[in-house]
Amino acid sequence: MNNSLSGTRNWRKIVVYVILILWALISLFPVYWMLTFSLKTNSEIFGENVVGLPREWVWENYKRALHTGNMPRYFLNSLIVAITTIVITLAASVMATYAMTRLHWKGRKRMNSFFMLGLTIPIHASIVPLYTTLAKLKLLDTLWALIIPYSAFSLAMGILVCTGFMGDIPYDLDEAAFLDGCGVWGTFFRVIAPLMTPAVATVGIYTFLQCWNELMFANVFVNSDKWRTLPVGVQSLSGQYTTDWGPIGAALSIATIPTLIVYIFLSKKIQDSFIAGAVKG
Amino acid sequence: MKKRLALLMALVMMFSLCCFSAPAAFADDEVTLTLWSIATESDSSHQAFVDGIAAFEAEHPGVKIEHVTTENEAYKTKIKAAMSSGEGLPDIFFTWGMGFLGEFVNAGRVYCVDDDYANYADELPEAMTVNVRYDGKMYGVPYTMSLVTLYANMDLLAQVGYDDIPATYEDMIDCCEALKAAGIIPFGVSGKELWCLSEYVEPLVIKSVGGQALRDMYNGEASWNNEGVVKAIEAFEGMVENEYFDPSAAALGNDEVKNNFIAGKYAFYQNGSWNNKDIGEQAQFNVKAGTFPVLDDSIPLYSMIGGPNNTLAVTESSQNKELAVEAAFFLAKFMSDADYKSGANLPCWAADPDAEVNDLIQAAADMASKAEDMVLFGDNFLSADAANTYLDYIGLAYAGDVTPTEYVEGLDADLG
Amino acid sequence: MNKPFRYKVNIFLFLLPALLLFVGVLIAPIIMSTVYSFTEWNGFTTPEFIGFKNYVELFTSRSINIQRALKNAFLLAILSCCIQLPFALWLALRLSRPIKGKTAFLSIFFLPVLISTVVIGQLWLKIYNPDYGVLNVFLRSIGLDNLTRIWLGDKKTALGAAFVPILWQYVGYHMLLMYAGIKGVPVELTEAAMLDGCTQAQVSRYIIIPYIRPILRVSVIFAITGSLKSFDLIYVLTNGGPNHATEVPSTLMISMLFLRNRYGMGSTIAVMLIILCFAFALLINMLFKEEK
Repeated sequence: MNNSLSGTRNWRKIVVYVILILWALISLFPVYWMLTFSLKTNSEIFGENVVGLPREWVWENYKRALHTGNMPRYFLNSLIVAITTIVITLAASVMATYAMTRLHWKGRKRMNSFFMLGLTIPIHASIVPLYTTLAKLKLLDTLWALIIPYSAFSLAMGILVCTGFMGDIPYDLDEAAFLDGCGVWGTFFRVIAPLMTPAVATVGIYTFLQCWNELMFANVFVNSDKWRTLPVGVQSLSGQYTTDWGPIGAALSIATIPTLIVYIFLSKKIQDSFIAGAVKG
Repeated sequence: MKKRLALLMALVMMFSLCCFSAPAAFADDEVTLTLWSIATESDSSHQAFVDGIAAFEAEHPGVKIEHVTTENEAYKTKIKAAMSSGEGLPDIFFTWGMGFLGEFVNAGRVYCVDDDYANYADELPEAMTVNVRYDGKMYGVPYTMSLVTLYANMDLLAQVGYDDIPATYEDMIDCCEALKAAGIIPFGVSGKELWCLSEYVEPLVIKSVGGQALRDMYNGEASWNNEGVVKAIEAFEGMVENEYFDPSAAALGNDEVKNNFIAGKYAFYQNGSWNNKDIGEQAQFNVKAGTFPVLDDSIPLYSMIGGPNNTLAVTESSQNKELAVEAAFFLAKFMSDADYKSGANLPCWAADPDAEVNDLIQAAADMASKAEDMVLFGDNFLSADAANTYLDYIGLAYAGDVTPTEYVEGLDADLG
Repeated sequence: MNKPFRYKVNIFLFLLPALLLFVGVLIAPIIMSTVYSFTEWNGFTTPEFIGFKNYVELFTSRSINIQRALKNAFLLAILSCCIQLPFALWLALRLSRPIKGKTAFLSIFFLPVLISTVVIGQLWLKIYNPDYGVLNVFLRSIGLDNLTRIWLGDKKTALGAAFVPILWQYVGYHMLLMYAGIKGVPVELTEAAMLDGCTQAQVSRYIIIPYIRPILRVSVIFAITGSLKSFDLIYVLTNGGPNHATEVPSTLMISMLFLRNRYGMGSTIAVMLIILCFAFALLINMLFKEEK
């Protein structure tokens, strides 16, 4: 009896593992596929050899991707935009969350719902009004034309995550700080803000994903080559009537690999920070 | 860790501040013109633009042209957003004729180049400017024109006993049947990109009703409910039904279909003459460029779909209109020549008769010179909203969801 | 200076950066869109005020057929809640128990979220390719030739085929959220239950799931608003075709705004989407509260 029980258990365990491993393969496949097609020619990509390893390793694709426009510069721009956006989103959402969760005033709940409206707004509808506003502010064709909208669109999520984190901090801390003579700002900077570091990873990765691959705003709000971001650079590899997909694959790999490396190094941290922030949701 | 992070952030902030406020680095006496186009670095016209700009700058010391390129689809969004707000517009911009440019002209955003045209009239025939004229006034400078071309894989045709593109419609049908029997797919078309379908439907229509009648229908001056159109749509739906088109292509983009043709998968591929260069250079078989036979014998064979469409225009908001107009004409002339010589497309400007060009572009040029009539692509001809409704109907015809009668009645009702 | 006033000023100052960004970049354009939604405007000339005509046309026009787009979006939302979230939850529950290779699985499952839509879209186009696509090749190789389809080109299969990648891509995201929630369940609770003789399944059902309800709420809100707003992958895979069979509200909106130059109508769709998403977010919040 005992045997048959552990038998079914083993059985089930095997099934679970099979599912997990299958799912892992399906999840890894895009990365493998991207890396291999970045080394193929059009005829291999279109039909001759879709999923196999490249027959002929066309490193030339990477050369072409790097020499189109100014890829290193686009990469740097994307990095500046991403980091600045993360910093601004974090600062603005931590401050706003502080005001809405730890300071007492009428309407703070309603203010929170108001910010949650941000989750519902379709990004494309705001292109024309935003374009006009950015033009009036003389911000068109600068990196700010991307940083400001990206930060604003990440804000709702930032506040949502920070609310979860901040709820975990005991209120006694505020009171103690207050008794020590800290004002609202002192409490914020000395007590609350330092405790929010776990939020950095969660908000950071979300914001990063929002802006690293964004194409629509990047195309419309920036003209000069020197302010272009990576996705626009990748796109410039496709012509009006013909497209060589190999170099596009190479450029996409160049754009994705750093993300993956950072993710591999930080994945434990990211998971931990998800956990820390999750409790209150 | 925290300190390092703070330091890193501070560095990034400082760096970005420096970057964002980098001063414009040119002297006061220099003029910079901005040009927006879709000639991205991988586009076949890119080099021609670069050379043209260099030539213009060499002729005009102190003038710089800043060339901003955006991918085709993204460009449409970008130029529309800029035109809509009227801010941050370039001096010169790439556009398509008729409907696309028309809406910007109506909004008063485009500078009229009528007066300047006089200086170039002997090089740029007036017939080439029809698609950039609104109320008779000229608002853009065309540089290349495109014709719908029937590309034929002569090796595959030879396998079923044809040594030329069939000259009559009946012959064409026989040819398709023979190809099918031999296990060869006659036509390649992207069923996913509706404009590719229109490259098949429009030649059928013009070769059934004639150019003037088609133009009248686009202009809303004649009903679509015309025996000839019904016949053309019947022919088109028949071709789909008989599987003359690759059935798989319903899910393929034009890129893939064109690749399939180049790989020798289809006997014919009908699309714009802008494909000349790619097909000519990449196809490993004997390829010929021609035109689809007529459906009605009273219609001349060389009733063509296409015309001058790639255009440069100058914005009303430009600070240096005269210079921008000069540059637009200069570049248009340069591009016309360069694209012709490279085999990319047909010139709008008087071409160099001694130029050596490849066979396909030569064939296209011959067709252009023989053309009895030329009607622009429907989706360029019509205004944006109507164009998309029109393409929707072509999509429905391809799927067999409308009968030819429903097609013409629907167009009459919905194109207003 | 009196204290309450200074307190209020401080509250305001804390909110200021977020408010500036939020109102300037999100709310102001939405207000403008709302105004445009009452006009007939091509984006370039002077808008003409036409009252509710756009709204009436939106819900009555057969050619726009917003009903179909909404139906598709709701279907995606339902699939997302009935397939994607339960599977994510199952993964999260599994991985929260001791299991070999847990960290690796967690990291790998999250990978698709990190890959850009262009890559994901192109990959699935290749998977679905009727001639050499992995799916049809596989079906042919096991002798199921009659099951092969032109997946994205056939009206009957296009919608389903376009939804699969959307559902697949974000499983890892929801899984990580839920996993995080499960890790927050106090160990004493689950251990006590186990000592009382509960099975793993019972612990999950009666202790863990009720405990992580707030996380589930967030997941459901994301899944539903995300489905209603879904755009990128549909655009790459089918662009609303064949013959609009896979149209969703966002693809209709884009086509109105930037293809058909019907800015007024595009704005109307945008306003409708926002109202819909917000209503659903509120509804879900209410449902989750009531059940408590």
